[in-house]
Amino acid sequence: MYDICIIGSGAGGSPIAYELSNAGFKVVVLEKGLLYDEKTFSKDEIAVSRRDMFTPPLWEQKHIINEYKQSGKFMRYDGAESGWSFWNGSLVGGSSNLMSGYFHRMKPKDFELLSSYGEIKGANVVDWCITYDELEPYYDKVEKVIGVSGNVVKHKYQEPRSTQNFPYPMLDTNGVTSWFDKACGALKFSAIPTPRAILSENALGRNACYYSNFCGSYGCSSGAKGSARAALLQKCKAKIVTDAFVYRLDAKEGKVIKAHYYTKHGISHTVNAKIFVLAAQAIETSRLLLNSKSKEYPNGLANSSGQVGKNLIFSAGGSGSGRFIFENLTKEQQKILMQPGLFFNRSLQDWYDYEDGCHIYKGGTIDFLFEHQNIISRANREKYDENGKLLWGDKLAEKIEKTLTTSRVLTFEVFNDWLPTDNCSVGVDEVAKDKYGIPVGVINLNSHPQDIEVGEHLAQKAVQVLEKMGAVEIEYSISGNPPPNLVAGGCRFGDNPKTSVLDRNCKAHDLENLYVTDASFMPTGGSVPYTWTIYANSFRVADVIKKNLRTSIAL
Amino acid sequence: MQTFTKRRNFLKTGVLSSAVVIMSGCDIFAITTSRDTIRVVQNDLFPKAKELGIDTADYITIVYRQHKISHADKEFLRNGVKWLNEAAVEMHKKQYTLLTEVKRQEVLTEVVKKEWGESWIDTMMGYIFEAMLGDPIYGGNNAQAGWKWLAFEGGRPRPTKVYL
Repeated sequence: MYDICIIGSGAGGSPIAYELSNAGFKVVVLEKGLLYDEKTFSKDEIAVSRRDMFTPPLWEQKHIINEYKQSGKFMRYDGAESGWSFWNGSLVGGSSNLMSGYFHRMKPKDFELLSSYGEIKGANVVDWCITYDELEPYYDKVEKVIGVSGNVVKHKYQEPRSTQNFPYPMLDTNGVTSWFDKACGALKFSAIPTPRAILSENALGRNACYYSNFCGSYGCSSGAKGSARAALLQKCKAKIVTDAFVYRLDAKEGKVIKAHYYTKHGISHTVNAKIFVLAAQAIETSRLLLNSKSKEYPNGLANSSGQVGKNLIFSAGGSGSGRFIFENLTKEQQKILMQPGLFFNRSLQDWYDYEDGCHIYKGGTIDFLFEHQNIISRANREKYDENGKLLWGDKLAEKIEKTLTTSRVLTFEVFNDWLPTDNCSVGVDEVAKDKYGIPVGVINLNSHPQDIEVGEHLAQKAVQVLEKMGAVEIEYSISGNPPPNLVAGGCRFGDNPKTSVLDRNCKAHDLENLYVTDASFMPTGGSVPYTWTIYANSFRVADVIKKNLRTSIAL
Repeated sequence: MQTFTKRRNFLKTGVLSSAVVIMSGCDIFAITTSRDTIRVVQNDLFPKAKELGIDTADYITIVYRQHKISHADKEFLRNGVKWLNEAAVEMHKKQYTLLTEVKRQEVLTEVVKKEWGESWIDTMMGYIFEAMLGDPIYGGNNAQAGWKWLAFEGGRPRPTKVYL
């Protein structure tokens, strides 16, 4: 029997595997996907981006999506028929292999959203049951163990830190960042070098970034990116079982006793352990708990509160862009603009909260980055003219050549709170099943009107910067569309077992040996990408589990 | 095992060589293959590829073998060949590959007005770009000619095998 069985090998599960196996405990990690590593990753746009090689085909595994309108009516979409995918990365290390690694800590006020900004009609906002100060040592640990590079600069919303600066220096940046800094200076905005979970120098037994030009969406071939696989699983002795889709947990008398998994050929296996840690990414974690119902647990596991799957959240906001064209630049500026590989790495957090009229709103973060280098995608984007007419032939070739060789796009991404609501949740479908014969997850989607208002406010600030920099064709889109790679909630933690699924240590209130350590625990998401917080919280829970196991051995 | 693999590959590549029956009303007008039509229409849609020495037509063989492209999408590709030829017959009484360049452009201009036509040309263009600008290991982008055209360096490391 294993001491710990972890379901999911991403940012939520791997810190537990790393800490507990390095402490001498017997750990097994069950991962649905396969193993890819530095030797097998490549920058194959056709495989990675055009065919989504790291996610399952939707006709084999899908979701049912109910998109709610403010009226309360909803549209039902079959994921396979609509092509709407909520999969992120089925491989050892999960989607952390494919992240861009834009790393921001949550701010102290993110932990007390209700107390700081008050109730919001139609939103289930609560304070977290832990504070920033309790998580800070683990944010710090992530900087050192996962490896975060950057440079701390003073600004209004800089969160308190236990160290002066990041352990690794900033990555090299493109010269266009100086145009950005100048524009922000003129606008009196505080340009922040974006911290990245990417090593700028050889360290931690991993190689430094080699500026491949293909970072986000692709696996890292040097090990510089702080994926859960490169930073943690390859540095510990936990046993990794690949091709293991966990479809059910058996529990009896308040304890999980067994995990059942299928291989891709439909062969079923079981694993017994003293402690189970669930970290299959928010939607699949709730789905597994709901699919694990039994006579003793008729509403699914850990669900005596009826809260499993509730208050699903994403990152609200959207994205925008502006184009720099050769006609407006000197020869030297053109050369700087087209320099490949180097990062942009600039963020703005001036409006992490802001006053509008007599109300103070929680705002968010804006990250700036160059348009992805995927050349097939960029050529495809030129297929239509300004009137929406499909082009072909020489006219199209000329358009592609001019656009791709004499201009470059700077994009921005807005991150603000996706307010939790009653109509945003996870369930399981009563009819639709996946290729394993297991009921598929139902994703109920609803965005609160304030999400879009705040996103708009932030996007307009980003537009000011692009205008000041001299960009043209500036546009943006803020909407209630959920980014599938920025998902959290569904198993809130809290001190009240009637209104939360997990306790403050992310242990299920109902079960003495089940922990959930992906982003499911988050009652609100902050206005930053989640990965740093997921890692930090998982390291925090690892300490709790370690202490409990040592105590039980001593007894 | 080796014989089995070869046969499977033959069957998969055979999709492009198999007969496409072109109807004119209720009558069979002609029989062609997807490969013949695709080769001609791809050049009509993006002659730059040929100018750069890139053969994009054979890449469709790989498209038919890739498991992440759904059966329905592959069927649409094949049906589009049939519908394009039927539009050519309706307009000019000849299958697409036998028309002059001017008349072929007339057919494309007409079919793009239809929902299936716009979608099919858009899809075909996507595969042309994959062949031209994807990694040379897929058989197109000869000597990185597509990348050189757009002053693109490609990402490293490059793939060592074709993803199917």
